[in-house]
Amino acid sequence: MANIREIQSRINSVKDTMKITNAMYMISSSKMTQAKRKLEATEPYFYSLQGEISRILRHLPEMHHPYFDKREKIPADERKIASIVVTGDKGLAGAYNHNIIKLEEEILARPGIHKLFVVGELGRQYFAKRHIDIDTHFQYTVQKPTLHRARDIGDVMTRKYLNGELDEVYIVFTRMENSVDLEAEVLKLLPLERSSFNEMIMPLNMYREAIDLYPSAESVMDSIVPNYVDGMVYGCLVEAYASEHNSRMMAMKSATDSANKLIKELSVLYNRARQAAITQEITEVCAGARAQKRKRK
Amino acid sequence: MDTFGLRIISSDGVFYEGRCRKLIIPAADGEMGILPNHENMVIAMAIGIGKLELTEGEWKDVAFGQGFAEVINNRVTLIVDTAEKPEDIDIRRAREQKEHAEERLRQKQSIQEYYHTQASLARAMNRLKLSQNRRWNL
Repeated sequence: MANIREIQSRINSVKDTMKITNAMYMISSSKMTQAKRKLEATEPYFYSLQGEISRILRHLPEMHHPYFDKREKIPADERKIASIVVTGDKGLAGAYNHNIIKLEEEILARPGIHKLFVVGELGRQYFAKRHIDIDTHFQYTVQKPTLHRARDIGDVMTRKYLNGELDEVYIVFTRMENSVDLEAEVLKLLPLERSSFNEMIMPLNMYREAIDLYPSAESVMDSIVPNYVDGMVYGCLVEAYASEHNSRMMAMKSATDSANKLIKELSVLYNRARQAAITQEITEVCAGARAQKRKRK
Repeated sequence: MDTFGLRIISSDGVFYEGRCRKLIIPAADGEMGILPNHENMVIAMAIGIGKLELTEGEWKDVAFGQGFAEVINNRVTLIVDTAEKPEDIDIRRAREQKEHAEERLRQKQSIQEYYHTQASLARAMNRLKLSQNRRWNL
């Protein structure tokens, strides 16, 4: 049986760790409510932006616009593929970062010249260690997503895409389905694909009319698409922020729970050891006393 | 008078949802008015001040950011990155934003940064303009 002092120090160290995990749990849960509020406010924008763009694209006549250009002439292994990877700034968030990284590695395995734009310190270090081409000027944190930051990121992407520095732009982030279901997802930002917007199934007899674009189709797309990219980046950042705190909260909760369980088990052991020690002491005292008594006789 | 359904969605929430009588939005080449039963149309919006008439004779001003308006079947959806009421605008912050943008415009920057700053300046001036209007009717 283990030494009493050993068990005691083990209990204390578990308790100390539990204090940390518990504090992190509380921090995350308060940030989480904040993030959730933000997410709820942004969701209508995010989804209606997707919906409206898909509607406009459906009604749009076939047109040639740089944002639709798939650049099919470029062979698959020479395509410059960019991915914006949204990871956390630190670990201790369960499988949150791993899922994102795993998904990104799937993309990296595809042919093409990959370029990563990593948001979040953890991912940046992970990919830097593996000598993957990361844009080093791209330093953004994931804390408190703002529209300003999203605009910066979106502008960099659209500019590089239009310059021909990039042929495809993806964003890898975690979508929060609900508080239990988090899913790592890849979204294609550019070029716009008509089929990527989930088509609404329309009844055949419905009357669908053409939509006029003002001032012209080109200028409308010119102003809508960068906006769409910025909006999507913002939405993704907010989703990822909420997901990160949700998964950290859950990870820390389970850590605290298992620490509690461990402490319970250890204190049973501790009490047993303590009782054994007491029993032994009593036995020794009794035996000693008896021996003395016998001697006096 | 007829009305139409209006939804103004900004990146930080649904700004307005309900019926509207008349709407004036800033477009790239000037203001555009939308009345009920407007032709189906998608309009690229510019940064500027919009007006909505919700009840007869009562116009409300809104500062809009970048975005677009969509008119379909007498329903209008505005999707903009920012939409602000005059009373929500922080004049001091807007002024600081304007000064900051002007400062940056004086420095050397790339074309992209220049556009960025220009847009930021336009937003700031737009906010200031809207808040200036109501300054005297306290």
